[in-house]
Amino acid sequence: MSTITIVWVALPFFLGFIIYLIPKLDKPLAMCGTVVSAVYGVQLFIQQSPLKLQLLDNFGVILLVDSLTGYFILTNALVTIAVLIYCWPSNKTTFFYAQTLILHGSLNAAFACSDFISLYVALEVSGIAAFLLIAYPRTNKSIWVGLSYLFVSNVAMLFYLVGAALVYKANHSFDFVGLKQAPPEAIALIFLGLLVKGGVFVSGLWLPFTHSESETPVSALLSGVVVKTGILPLVRCALVVDEIDPIVRIFGVGTALLGVSYAVFEKDTKRMLAFHTISQLGFILAAPAVGGFYALSHGLVKSTLFLIAGALPSRNFKDLQQKPVDYNIWFALAIASLSISGFPLLVGFGAKVLTVKSLESWQAIAMNIAAVGTAISFAKFIFLPRGAKEGGSVHPTQPGFWPAVILLIVSLIVTNGIYYQAYTFENILKALATIGVGWLAYYFIFKKSTLKLPRVFEQFEHLVGTMSLILILIFWMALA
Amino acid sequence: MKIISMDVMSTGVIAYYVLIASGDGLFTPIISDAPNRDYADPVPQAIILTAIVIGFSIQALMLVGVMKLGRDNPTLEISEIEKNNRV
Repeated sequence: MSTITIVWVALPFFLGFIIYLIPKLDKPLAMCGTVVSAVYGVQLFIQQSPLKLQLLDNFGVILLVDSLTGYFILTNALVTIAVLIYCWPSNKTTFFYAQTLILHGSLNAAFACSDFISLYVALEVSGIAAFLLIAYPRTNKSIWVGLSYLFVSNVAMLFYLVGAALVYKANHSFDFVGLKQAPPEAIALIFLGLLVKGGVFVSGLWLPFTHSESETPVSALLSGVVVKTGILPLVRCALVVDEIDPIVRIFGVGTALLGVSYAVFEKDTKRMLAFHTISQLGFILAAPAVGGFYALSHGLVKSTLFLIAGALPSRNFKDLQQKPVDYNIWFALAIASLSISGFPLLVGFGAKVLTVKSLESWQAIAMNIAAVGTAISFAKFIFLPRGAKEGGSVHPTQPGFWPAVILLIVSLIVTNGIYYQAYTFENILKALATIGVGWLAYYFIFKKSTLKLPRVFEQFEHLVGTMSLILILIFWMALA
Repeated sequence: MKIISMDVMSTGVIAYYVLIASGDGLFTPIISDAPNRDYADPVPQAIILTAIVIGFSIQALMLVGVMKLGRDNPTLEISEIEKNNRV
C-alpha cells in the first residue's frame, strides 16, 4: 500500500514531464494521470484505516492518507477530468496539458502530506503551476492577474516559512502535531499563510479578482480545488490540536458571512461565483471534522457552475435578464444551483445537513443565515429567463462542454448516496424552508437592489496591508 | 519595486533559518573519531536550500511577467497598471 501511495504521488509529475517529451500523447497521458488518482481516491474509502508514512527518519517527509484526504483527492481528480474533457476539442497546446497535470500532482501531494515543509513545497509548486495556467493566454490582463496571484501567495508563504521555522525550533520536527508545543506567534504565522492561500476571510479578497478574470476552465480548477490546498491543512491542524479548533471555527463563520454578503449584491456572474467560493470555504472550516464531504460537494458544484457561466451569453446579470438562456444550459445551471443551495436528492443537501449537525450551538444561527444567503444568490441563476434555441442570441458552446458538465452533474447525484442517513423528514423540511425563504427574499428585496459594494479591499496595495492586520488578529487569538 | 522588496523579505527568512541552524554551534556535522563538539543543525539548512531555489524561480518568473507588462505600461506605479488592466 505504501508503495502505491508513493507511486501515486509521483505519477502526475512524471507524466507531466513525459508530455513535454512526447507532445503527441498529451491528452491521453493527462487523462491517464487523473484517472489513476480518481481510482486511488475511491480506494481510500474502501480501505478504512488511515495510513501514515514516515519517509527518511524523523525529519523527513510525512504522508498521511485517510478518508478525509480521500474526499479531497476525489474532488481534485473529478474536477481535473472534467476540465480536460472540456478542453479536449479545443486547440490548447501541449504546455497547457502538462501544466494542468503538474498542478494536479502538486495538489495531490499537498493533500497527502502531513508536515509543514513538504506542504510548503507542494503549495509553491501548485502556485507556480496555477500562475502559468492563469497567464496562459499571454494577454496583458491575464499576466497581471497571474502576477498579483503569485505575489500574494508568495508573500503569504514567506510568513508561513517563518512559522514553520518556529515550530521546528520548539520540537525539532515539522510534523503537524508539533503545533501544540509551538509558541503563539508560530500559529499566527502559519495560519496567515494558509488563510491567504486558501482565500479565507478578509485576507482572501484576492480571490474574486483572480478567479473571475481567468479563463473558464482555469477558473473551474482554481475555485474547485486549488483553494482547498490551504483549507485541508487548516482542517487537519484543527483536528490534531484542540486549542486551534475554536479559531478555525470562528474564521469559518466569519468567512461564510462575509463571502455570502458580497455574493448577494454582486452583479457579475463569475465574480458572484468567486465570492461564493469564499463563503463555502467558510462552511468547510466551520465544521472541521466533516469538512471533507462538504469540500467534495463544493468542488464539483463550483467547477460545474464556472464551466456553465463561461457558456452564458453575458457575464452581467442585468443583460442576462433580457437575453433568454438556452433551455439545456438553464437545466444544468438549475441543477447545480439547487445542489449548492442544499436541495434534497443532490449532494449539497447531505453535505449541508452533515455540517450543520456538527456545528456548535453558537455557530448555528450564523450558518443558517449564510445558507439563506446562498439560496438568495443562486436564485439569480435559477430565475433567469429561458427560451428555445431559435433567436440569434444563443451563444455557441464549446464542443467539450456537455460531456464535462454531464460528468460533473452525474457525480453530484451519485455522491449524494454517501450520506443517505440525512434523509429524515425534518432535514428535508428545513432544507426546503431555507431555499424558500431565500427565494422569497430574493424576489421581494434583492431583485430590485442596485447597491454596489466598494472594491477597495481588492486593490493590490490593500491586499498586503490586510494580510499584516490579520496576522496581528490571529496572534491575539492564539494567545488568548 | 514590490518584487525587489519581496526578495529582501525572503532573504530575511533565509537568514532566520541559518540563525536557527547555528543555534547550538557552528561546526560542520561530520561523523568522525573527533570528540563530539557543538555542531550546527543540518536540517534547517537543507530545508532553506529548497526554499531558496523555489524563491529564485518565482523571482525569475515574476520578472518575465513584469517585463512583458512593462512594455505596454511604462510606469512604476502599481495603481496605474492596475487601472489599465481592469475590466
